[in-house]
Amino acid sequence: MTRAVKENDPQTNLSVNIGGLLLKNPVMTASGTFGYGEEYAPYVDINRLGAVIVKGVSLHPRRGNPPPRIMETACGMLNAIGLQNPGVHVFVRDKLPFLKQFDVAVVVNIFGETVDEYKRIAEILNRTEGVHALEVNISCPNVEKGGMSFGADPKAAFEVTRGVKGATHLPVMVKLTPNVTDIGEIAETVQAAGADVISLINTIAGMSVDVENRKPNLQRVTGGLSGPAIKPVALRMVREVTKRVSVPVVGVGGITNASDALEFLIVGARAIQVGSANFVNPRATMDILEGIEEYMVRHRIRDIQALIGTLNEGEDIC
Amino acid sequence: MNHSGLPVPGKIVSNRQLINEHYLMTVNLPEPIMNPLPGQFIMVMLNRRGEVFLGRPFSIYNYNRRRNKATIDILYQVVGRGTRLMAELERGDTLGIFGPHGKSFDMFPHVRNVVLIAGGMGVAPISYLASYYKNNIKAFNGNIICYSGARTSDHLLGMDRLIATCSSVHISTDDGSAGYCGAVTELFAGELPGYVPDQCVLYACGPSPMLKRLSEILKGHAIPCQVLLEQRMACGVGACLGCVVEVIHAGEESQYARVCVDGPVFDIRDINWNTTLGES
Repeated sequence: MTRAVKENDPQTNLSVNIGGLLLKNPVMTASGTFGYGEEYAPYVDINRLGAVIVKGVSLHPRRGNPPPRIMETACGMLNAIGLQNPGVHVFVRDKLPFLKQFDVAVVVNIFGETVDEYKRIAEILNRTEGVHALEVNISCPNVEKGGMSFGADPKAAFEVTRGVKGATHLPVMVKLTPNVTDIGEIAETVQAAGADVISLINTIAGMSVDVENRKPNLQRVTGGLSGPAIKPVALRMVREVTKRVSVPVVGVGGITNASDALEFLIVGARAIQVGSANFVNPRATMDILEGIEEYMVRHRIRDIQALIGTLNEGEDIC
Repeated sequence: MNHSGLPVPGKIVSNRQLINEHYLMTVNLPEPIMNPLPGQFIMVMLNRRGEVFLGRPFSIYNYNRRRNKATIDILYQVVGRGTRLMAELERGDTLGIFGPHGKSFDMFPHVRNVVLIAGGMGVAPISYLASYYKNNIKAFNGNIICYSGARTSDHLLGMDRLIATCSSVHISTDDGSAGYCGAVTELFAGELPGYVPDQCVLYACGPSPMLKRLSEILKGHAIPCQVLLEQRMACGVGACLGCVVEVIHAGEESQYARVCVDGPVFDIRDINWNTTLGES
């Protein structure tokens, strides 16, 4: 038997706590796919989101990579934006005030070329009102320095995580790259360095060629693959990481509908991020949230905690 | 009226091949979208996540609103997977229409000459702009002069509408099969000295090399010129930063501007044409 699901249905508890960050529901926006919130505010009720994770912010402004920066691929897209952003100071002055109007957790994705840069951004944001958590980007494949080069090296990943933790009281979520042999090892390392939450996956490094002109379709040649194409990879890695660490894990990669999101929750993710799907369906986050609620009602699940990590891997499944 | 700005389901009324790879699609909208201004674009969502994941940006060729219904015309050329799939769609098929998005052309009601330059498929937004000046800008009673160029006479699309709308239409073809033989920019360059800068405004749309050439022709001339640019897009709303073009404002360091929200209409003199030569 089903019934209409109302907003904030008292029968259904969707709230989750990820490393000290309390979310009213597990639906977050993935960094780089939701701008600074304002871009999607005409289409989405920001107040209903679990959290907004903003576009990656660096210490100094970054121009980003030359175009063309994106290319559609089968069931997804490649991007090589290169972390274009106005820098942390302009972010705090011009972008953050818009998000402060809403009753939503604001997570700032931070990026540095050196450990010291990560620390300095973390310090600045630590004393900034309206920032509720940090997501440490050690996984961008589209920059010369920093990014994935930190996330693919356990020692560097440890240093960045420890540096950021020492510079802030905010919950620290570390976003991992899938472009490694053993993601569990990196996850264990950042947990040991103090990460409160681990999010994964960032994009998978890839490329695409224009055969008529024998040229790469992206000016930077390689980019990061996102979209439904990467969901099975992300899910497999989330499962792997949840088995290796005790801190909460946030699943991201190719989630376009509620069923996708539920897969991640069932596998053990405590929350999820919606990325490229925002581009295709500006209301993807709302549709996913409503779909999760509908599923919980249909399965008589009152608290989302009762769903997380309940994958049945028993022998009765063939 | 759809005030949310969210994608509306459109139903194809007709999808007609004009010539070779060129099509004209008319889509019926169950509820009108915000009135699109010339230069703005819509994202066409094909809703086929396997074959075609992202929406596709298209200029508006025409928009007709009648009470609680509206139709939108899209003039397009098959250039890749998305447009190939669009060409296969038939009457009754549905697609999402998301928009309108972007900055429109600035309009000057009291200017004497509105001069339009269209290259190839650039005729789509240029034609809508011409109609808009004629039908919607009440105070405007100047001339609309259009220069339209294409590969061959067969590729000169939408001529009937242009001729009906403009005071005069000058055509060029690469092969000389109609009008001036050569690029539309060269046809215009020959007539540029006849225009008085403070009585004219110039609008152009076409392949990047054409617009780059126009920027060279206009060097040393004061005639204002707005161009409409095309770029691959993902979101269409300014979030993904995928569709950038390099802009330079006098005295400032160049930066990447988003074609979807900072454009697609730009001042021709703000664009760094040396780095803006994508797909032509």
